[in-house]
Amino acid sequence: MIQCSNLRKTYRKGRVEIHALDGVNLGVTQGEFVVIRGPSGSGKSTLLFTIGGMLHPTSGTVEVTGVNLAAMRGSALARFRANHIGFVFQMFHLVPYLTVLENVLLAAKTPHRGGTMERAKSLLEHLGLIHRLKHLPYELSAGEQQRVAIARALLNQPLLLLADEPTGNLDPQNAEEVMRHMKDFHDSGGTVLIVTHEKELPIKGNRVLELSEGIIHKDMDMDMAQRRDNVTL
Amino acid sequence: MNLLLLVCKEILQRRWNFLLSLLGVTLAVTLFVFFVTTGQASKRETTRLMRDMGFNLRIIPIETDMSEFLMQGFAMETMPQSYVDQLASHRHISYAHLVATLQQRAYWKDMQIILTGIAPEAQQDDKIKSPMGFIVPPGRIYVGFEVARRLELQQGQTVDFWGSSFIIEKCLSETGTSDDLRIYGDLEDIQMLLDMPGKINEIRALQCLCLLPGRDTVEELREQLAEALPNAKVILLQTIAETRRNQRILVERYFALLLPLILVACAAWTGVLAMMNVRDRRVEIGLFRALGFSSFKIAFLFLFRAFLLGIVASVLGFSLGTILSLSFGPGIFKITAKSLEPMWILCWFSMLGAPAFSALSSFMPAMAAVAQDPAIVLKEGQA
Repeated sequence: MIQCSNLRKTYRKGRVEIHALDGVNLGVTQGEFVVIRGPSGSGKSTLLFTIGGMLHPTSGTVEVTGVNLAAMRGSALARFRANHIGFVFQMFHLVPYLTVLENVLLAAKTPHRGGTMERAKSLLEHLGLIHRLKHLPYELSAGEQQRVAIARALLNQPLLLLADEPTGNLDPQNAEEVMRHMKDFHDSGGTVLIVTHEKELPIKGNRVLELSEGIIHKDMDMDMAQRRDNVTL
Repeated sequence: MNLLLLVCKEILQRRWNFLLSLLGVTLAVTLFVFFVTTGQASKRETTRLMRDMGFNLRIIPIETDMSEFLMQGFAMETMPQSYVDQLASHRHISYAHLVATLQQRAYWKDMQIILTGIAPEAQQDDKIKSPMGFIVPPGRIYVGFEVARRLELQQGQTVDFWGSSFIIEKCLSETGTSDDLRIYGDLEDIQMLLDMPGKINEIRALQCLCLLPGRDTVEELREQLAEALPNAKVILLQTIAETRRNQRILVERYFALLLPLILVACAAWTGVLAMMNVRDRRVEIGLFRALGFSSFKIAFLFLFRAFLLGIVASVLGFSLGTILSLSFGPGIFKITAKSLEPMWILCWFSMLGAPAFSALSSFMPAMAAVAQDPAIVLKEGQA
């Protein structure tokens, strides 16, 4: 599903080079639920955005469903993202002047097709927001806003869901609900990559990557990560 | 989601930015329409004035030495007085005033004077016009200021002029020119005094026109005059219309400088507001990118917004510009209100130009929106 080979991303600030990713090798198979952990500035968001085709690596390759995103540009890359990848962000990033339903439909590949509207409503119903269709984002709670963002990310039935600190702005109850919906997507066969700086997530994935200074230091399954966390505590 | 709906909703969300941008483009269109409408009216008016006013001419004997003429202010040579009648009866030449004069330097009471005989104005057909200068009755004279002062002459006084008596009809006020040395009399009286019967040395023709259809240039007029008076020379005087034409050209040059400056200022204003709009929407644009919007779609969002802005501004600007032209134009340009009328072609021109102007102003900001890195924006947008 995802194959990163010797992935490097270097930012330049004046004469200083910052290696956000410093030779990452990573393989993720279809249906995995991967949690990427690491301290702030470790490069985890950069890795997520590079896998999502929103950042071009300085060198190396990143393949998603066999397509090398590093070699793609412009409209082709945009189309690939729309077709295969869903994004969820910490700050939800809902468009403030669109209603809940319009925010979800914003992602639609074929907005005028009847099925799209039905699917948007069905997703919102599943996420408990059917009564909020015509509300504007500022009228929703943080948890509701993040659920709208999830509905938007899932509208085009992506193969891959990328989430950057999706529970970072939520209280525990809402965080658990949001994670449960992501787990539902995973259970239906989707691949999930979540970036977080939290050690404890309300819903467990099946693999944990620990990133530091642009390098994957630990690649372990969830049970091992939990045992290690308990020992550390 | 429908992109047009997205643009309209964004406009409603950021209505102040849109309204301020609208103000900038509307101002540009308004001033453009105002300047063009009033400028055209001014041009039409000047053309009409020039056409109606005709040319002011001095007709002198053909053998006149021009350097002497210009030094003296009149021709030393003479021509037959019958030239006036020939000119007046010419069917292709029209004039408002036609006056024959005879001028000669002379000594009178130890003083150098210019004796000037003025004939009554020649009338063309049945046109009765008020005279352009004064008419001196036979047996009477008008005395220039300096002559009257030095010789202590008074109005009503009878003076002897080489054996002929004349009553001073009027002592003229000071002009500061050679006219202060003139003594004006009836042409026939002066011809008799100078022993030059039937002679004149100048015909002044004011507002002279060539009546042949489509021929109102000075060259045509000269041709016709040469035909009418083969032994005369024609000198063109600057006319008021010419001054007005120069004034119009000056105003046009002024606008030619001012208008681009105003347009650039309005474009900069609109561009800055568009850039502010892009800055406000950085995260939104990053999100659109993440959702798979192509560069074309994102540029479309900004350029279509600019296009809508231009369309609304063109209608508002044309209306305002026309109203301003009709209301204030005559006062500013001192031209008749009748020549000011809405130029409907400018409406269509505005509807094409204003969206293009607005889109051009927003082009750089739109490109900036397309070029920004969505990952950085979305990461910066995080808490």
